[in-house]
Amino acid sequence: MARIFYDKAPVEVQALGTNFRETLIATDCSINFTSSQSPIYAVGKKGSIGQFPAAARVGDISFNFLTTITGEFQNIVGIGVTSSQGNIINYLADAIKNSTDSEASGVIIKCAGVSGVGFLNSYSFNTAANSISSSSAAFTLFGSGTQLPVSGRLSGVNAGVGDGTSVTTGIAHGRFTTMPSSLNTVLYQSDAALGERYATGTIYSTDYSINFNHNPIYKIGQEFPVTTFYTTASESLTVSEDVFNSGLKYDETASSYDIALKGLSNTAQPMYVRVSEAKEVSTSASVGLDDIIRTQKTLTAAY
Amino acid sequence: MLGRITREAEKLTINGSGIQGIQSLTASYDSVATPVSNLGINSIQYYPEGPQQANLQVNTLLINFLDPINSFSEYTSRDPLQNYTGDMSFSGIVDHGSKQFYFTQGYLETYSASCSVGEIPQSSTSSVIYGDFGADAKFDSWEQSFESQAKLNVTSYGSMEINLDTFETNRVNSFSVSITTPRLPIYKLGKDQPDEVIAGTPIEVNVNFEIEPDDYEIKNMRLIPNETVFKNTVITLKKNNSHDILLRYSFDDMLLTSQSFAGANESNARISFNLRSFILR
Repeated sequence: MARIFYDKAPVEVQALGTNFRETLIATDCSINFTSSQSPIYAVGKKGSIGQFPAAARVGDISFNFLTTITGEFQNIVGIGVTSSQGNIINYLADAIKNSTDSEASGVIIKCAGVSGVGFLNSYSFNTAANSISSSSAAFTLFGSGTQLPVSGRLSGVNAGVGDGTSVTTGIAHGRFTTMPSSLNTVLYQSDAALGERYATGTIYSTDYSINFNHNPIYKIGQEFPVTTFYTTASESLTVSEDVFNSGLKYDETASSYDIALKGLSNTAQPMYVRVSEAKEVSTSASVGLDDIIRTQKTLTAAY
Repeated sequence: MLGRITREAEKLTINGSGIQGIQSLTASYDSVATPVSNLGINSIQYYPEGPQQANLQVNTLLINFLDPINSFSEYTSRDPLQNYTGDMSFSGIVDHGSKQFYFTQGYLETYSASCSVGEIPQSSTSSVIYGDFGADAKFDSWEQSFESQAKLNVTSYGSMEINLDTFETNRVNSFSVSITTPRLPIYKLGKDQPDEVIAGTPIEVNVNFEIEPDDYEIKNMRLIPNETVFKNTVITLKKNNSHDILLRYSFDDMLLTSQSFAGANESNARISFNLRSFILR
């Protein structure tokens, strides 16, 4: 029996039919494989007459990883923004949400010898002052034709030995990352002492997430789908500030934001995410002991 | 040839002024570098997790006092370091031999002053450095001149006074005052130094002292507001055989948190106290 230590379980993502691949700096990974069974009952019999498959077998895989902005995955131009940097998950999310073709191909995901073709369900990252950025991604594995959603057996994968000790610059960090100035809440206020002025919020952290919906197409006589379509996506941006917008409008103006995540090198190319036509949908304020009042606003965009 | 740096080649400058009578000085930081640990790990890389801060601890003999306080004074204490218990920050330089390092955005977190009969009063401070810490200072250190040699103020029974509401005629053997001032740095995205440092509240004050009692009555150990709270606690340190007040602390509503009576066959009766109070700002 193979006991596999975590150093032999890298998470690798590869775009189907291409050489574009990246081994992510994953901090955890979980793989699930389910076969849905429903009991059948009949009149005149007390117990069930058996359990029968109620749906196709599906798998899912999810992992958290450090937000790499300069990985092995390079030289791919994003669709939403003209970026040549970023990790493969960010590229994938950007490509799907801006896709004009609904038919999706999925990506191959591997971890410790187990692999499958996955369709991105959700992707998120956070960035906060003086902290490293972490991301998370979740995929659904439908399988295809006769191909199982999840295949392979657990086996250690040697990731090789890289360079010696160094300070990383290729991971997004709050040190140099700033949000576009249009994302700061700006409120007009009239103060007896200070006169008329604008109060501009200071951004302390930002969380980004996007969720995708996929529709697998099944045909009679085959367990796994013949194809899978991407349908819709919803995007969310939660910004922590110190200004509360009590004048949230019934129909807020939609704006686009280009978020640039930078690493520990102020001059290196950042990773871009374009949030298109987002509207502020909620705002809140909270305070605890020994802290300032912090506000949060959430903007959403749909694709 | 290996050299060594001794005390005469070390000095501390804070906001352009020299701190005299230093007995010990420690400036330190712990790196916030954290190793990247991941599935399939194949190299060790570090990243900074959390804000980088440094600490400065200074113990001094109180031999250099500011001019007596009057209505025009811009400071509230004649001990220069105590004036940083408010919301004022400081920068400084530490010289050691021909080298020096500097720091910016220093904020005092704890301050204590103590003295006992026959000793020179001392102060201890602990500060947190939120700004820079390293070489290549952009400001100058102070130059000690012959005239700046300070005079020692050895404490005697006549130079220490503690007034606890109505009790005034007790001989003070020793006292210490400790002030803890919380700080809240606010960091925003894209900066490694705080956008603002809020002077937190409340400020905790602890006073310890020992007296040889005359008219003082031991208080009931139960928490009785009228007995265990001193409305007005005043501690005064004067120059020996003089009315020149060097230090004066006045605190309202201090809670008696511990009290200890000690009698012995070869000494006078003694009572030790700890009083505690909080100041809101």
